[in-house]
Amino acid sequence: MIKLPQFNFGKLSLLLAILVWLALLFVDLVRLFGILNEIDSGIAIEFTWILEILFFLMVYVFYSYSISKNSKNEFLNLIWRAASTGLFAVAVSLFIFLFYGSLGESRLAQEPFLRNLFYHINFALTSIFLISSALLWKHLILYQKSKRVVKQWQAYEFAMLGAMFFIFFNQNTFDYSFLFGLVLLVGLGLVLSGNLKWIPYLTFKEKWKSLLFLFIILISCGFLFIQIQGYTNKLIYPVNLTDNLFLISLFAFIFSYALFSFLVTLFNLPTSSVFEQKLTEAISFQRLSQSIKADENEEQVLDILMDSCMSASYADGAWLEMEREDQSVDFQFERFIDSKTREELSALINTSKSLVGKPNENLAKNINIQEIRIDHPRFESALLVPLSINKIPIGRIIMIKEVKDGFNNEMINIVSTFVSQACISVENHRLLNQAILNERYQEELKIAQRVQKALLPTKLDHNDSFDISAYSNAADEVGGDYYDTFKLDEDRYVLIIGDVSGKGTSAAFHMAQMKGIFQSLIQLNLSPTDFLIKANSALSKCLVRNHFITVSIFLINTERKTFCHARAGHVPSLHFSSSASKSDYLGIEGLGLGILRNKLYENHVEEKTFTYRAGDILVLFTDGVIEAKNHQGKQFGFERLRSLLEVYNEHNSKEIQTSLIDSLHHFVGGDGKIDDDYSMMVVKFN
Amino acid sequence: MLNIKGLEENGYHVLILQGEVDASNSVLLDESIQKLIADGNKAILIDGQGLEYISSAGLGVFMSYLEDFQEKNIDFRIFGLSEKVFEVFKILGLNQLMAIFPDKQTALSD
Repeated sequence: MIKLPQFNFGKLSLLLAILVWLALLFVDLVRLFGILNEIDSGIAIEFTWILEILFFLMVYVFYSYSISKNSKNEFLNLIWRAASTGLFAVAVSLFIFLFYGSLGESRLAQEPFLRNLFYHINFALTSIFLISSALLWKHLILYQKSKRVVKQWQAYEFAMLGAMFFIFFNQNTFDYSFLFGLVLLVGLGLVLSGNLKWIPYLTFKEKWKSLLFLFIILISCGFLFIQIQGYTNKLIYPVNLTDNLFLISLFAFIFSYALFSFLVTLFNLPTSSVFEQKLTEAISFQRLSQSIKADENEEQVLDILMDSCMSASYADGAWLEMEREDQSVDFQFERFIDSKTREELSALINTSKSLVGKPNENLAKNINIQEIRIDHPRFESALLVPLSINKIPIGRIIMIKEVKDGFNNEMINIVSTFVSQACISVENHRLLNQAILNERYQEELKIAQRVQKALLPTKLDHNDSFDISAYSNAADEVGGDYYDTFKLDEDRYVLIIGDVSGKGTSAAFHMAQMKGIFQSLIQLNLSPTDFLIKANSALSKCLVRNHFITVSIFLINTERKTFCHARAGHVPSLHFSSSASKSDYLGIEGLGLGILRNKLYENHVEEKTFTYRAGDILVLFTDGVIEAKNHQGKQFGFERLRSLLEVYNEHNSKEIQTSLIDSLHHFVGGDGKIDDDYSMMVVKFN
Repeated sequence: MLNIKGLEENGYHVLILQGEVDASNSVLLDESIQKLIADGNKAILIDGQGLEYISSAGLGVFMSYLEDFQEKNIDFRIFGLSEKVFEVFKILGLNQLMAIFPDKQTALSD
C-alpha cells in the first residue's frame, strides 16, 4: 500500500509557490533584458500572466491548508495572523523604500533589474497578505454560518477565480469592463462584510486587542495599496502585475471587512459586559442543569446556585436558609457576610413590615420571590428567594445589596429560573438517595427472606411408616407461617404447623420465636396438651399485646398406629380415612397461643388420640389456603379442599401436596395473587 | 374497606362494623374500642351484621382488650356475625372467651 503523504500538501504548495514566483521573476527579468537590449526575448506576456495566476493559486492552497490545520483558531489568533502578515509586508516595503532613500541618486538606484526584483518581492508579499487575510476572513464570516452565507462565499470565490483570468480578456487596461468587474466584486465583498457574528463572543479585553489588530490591518492595507499604485506609471517595469482586477478587489474586500469589524467592535464595546453577563448566566444554567451527577451532591448544587444567583443579581452578600427535618433552620453558605451581620439582617427581615405573610413563619409559606427594604446601616435592600420542591418550601436564599431597590425585574426573572432549575436538581438528588436507601432495604429484606427460609426444615423427619411433604409461600418477602418436625424416637414423631397473626416482618419475628419454643419444649417429651400450655406461657412473655399464634400439633406413634392431636386456635386439619374413603376435618376445641396469658388457658386445651390405617392421609395447612380468593371474591374454602383430597387420595404425599397447591393456584387464577402466607404439610401413612 | 359507626342504644354503646377488617385497617377498630374504654363506657356492643371478613390482625384487636374488659368490668358483646366470620372466631377459640350472640335481640335480652 502506498500511503499518500497528505500532510505534504501544505509544504508542496509552499514549494510550488516559491518556484512559480522564481519562474515569474526569471521570465520578467529576461523580458526586461530583452527590452533593454532591444532584442525580442520571444516570451509572450500571457506567460507571465499564467505564472502570476499559478502563484495566486499556490498561495491560496497553502493558506487553505495551514489555516484549516489549526482549525481551533480563536478569533483573536486569526486576526493576529492577518495583522502580522500585513505588518511584515509593510515592514519589507518600508525597508526597500528606505534602502532607495539611502542610495539617493546613485547608479545602483537606477538599476532596473534590482528595482524589478524588489517590485516582485513587494508583489509577492502583498499577494500573500491579501490572500491569507481573505482566507482568515472566510473563517470569521462563516462563523455560525447559514446556508445562504456559504452560498454567498462560494459565489465570491468563483467570482475571484474569474477575476484572476479576467486579465486575458481585458489585457490589463482600465476600461468599462474592468470597472464593471470591480464594482461587482466590491459589491459582493461588501455584502459578505456584513457577517460579523463572532464579535459579540469576544470578551471586553479581547475586543480591545482585536481593535488594535484590525487597525494594523487597515493601515497595512492602505499603505500597500498606495504603494502598489505607485508602480503603475513607471516605465521601468515591463509588466504590471499589480493592476489586476483580482488584487484590487481583494484589497477592497480585506479593507472593507476590516473596517466593518473595527467599527462594529468599537460600538460593541459598551454593551460587551452585558453580553458577557448573559453568557455567564447561560453557563450557570447549564451547570445547574447538569449538576445531577453521581459525584455531586445537594450541597454542591446549592453552592452553584448561590454563585449563579449572586452573579446574576450583582448582590453584595447572600446566605441560604435550609429547613431541616426537625423544622429548625440551618444557615449555610454565608457569602461576603459574617454571622453577626447575618443575624442582624435576619432579625430585620423577619420583622419587616413589607414582608408578605406571617413573620413567624420563617421560611415563608408563600413561594414567590419578594424584594424588601431593610433598615440597616450598611445594606438597604434584600431579595428573598424561596426554594421549594412540589410547592413545599425547603429553604430560601436571601440576597442583600447596599443600594435601595437594587434588584430589578430582569435579575428576579433570572434568579427564579436558576432557583427552579436548582430545586429540580435537589429533588432529583433526594429521590436518588431515597431510591438507594430503598434498594438497601430491599437487600436487607432479601437477607431476612433467606434467614427465614432457613428456619423451615429442609428435611422432614419420618420413618417408613409414613411419607411427608411440605410447602410454604409468603405473601411478602417474609411471612408468619411455620411448620416443623421432630423425631422423639424411632417410632414417635412430632409435626407442627403454625400461623402468626398478621403478616410481613413482625409476623416473621414471632415465627422465629415459635420455632425456638417448639425446638426447646418438644425435647422435654411433652404431651401435645402440656406442650401447648407451656408454649402459651412462654409466648405470653414474648408476643406483643395484639398478636397471637395458632398451631396444630400431632404426635405420631407408628408402633401403635395412632396420632395424638391438639389444636391451639389453628384451622382444623384434614384427615382422609382410607376405610371410609372419606375425608373430614378433625373437630377439636382449642384456643390460640397468646390470647389468654394466664393459668386459665389450661381450661381451653383439648387433645385427642386417633388411630390410623394404611392409606390414611393428614393435611395440615394454614388459613391462607382456605381464605384464598378468586376473581369473583369467592374463597377456596374448607369444602373444596376436603373433596379434592378425596380425589387425590391414591397419590403419595408429595403428589397430593403438589395437586392441592396447583388446584389452589388454578382456583385463584393465573395472575391472581394470594394476599396471605399459605403453607401445607401432607402426611400419608403406609 | 371498613366503616365504623357509633351510637347509643339501651344503655349500650354500639359500634357498627361494615366491610372487612384486615391488617391495614385494624388500627381503626383498635382506636374506636380504645376510645370507648377511655371514655369510661361500661357496656359495649359490636354490631357485626355488616362484617364480611376479619383477618387475624382484626381478631388480634378484640383479643388484646379481653383483659381490659375483665379488669374494668366492661360488658362487651358481639352480635350478628355471619356464619363465615363466626367460624373464624370459633376456630381461634375466641367464642370461648367472648360473648357472641346471633342477633341484637338475644344480645340485649341476656
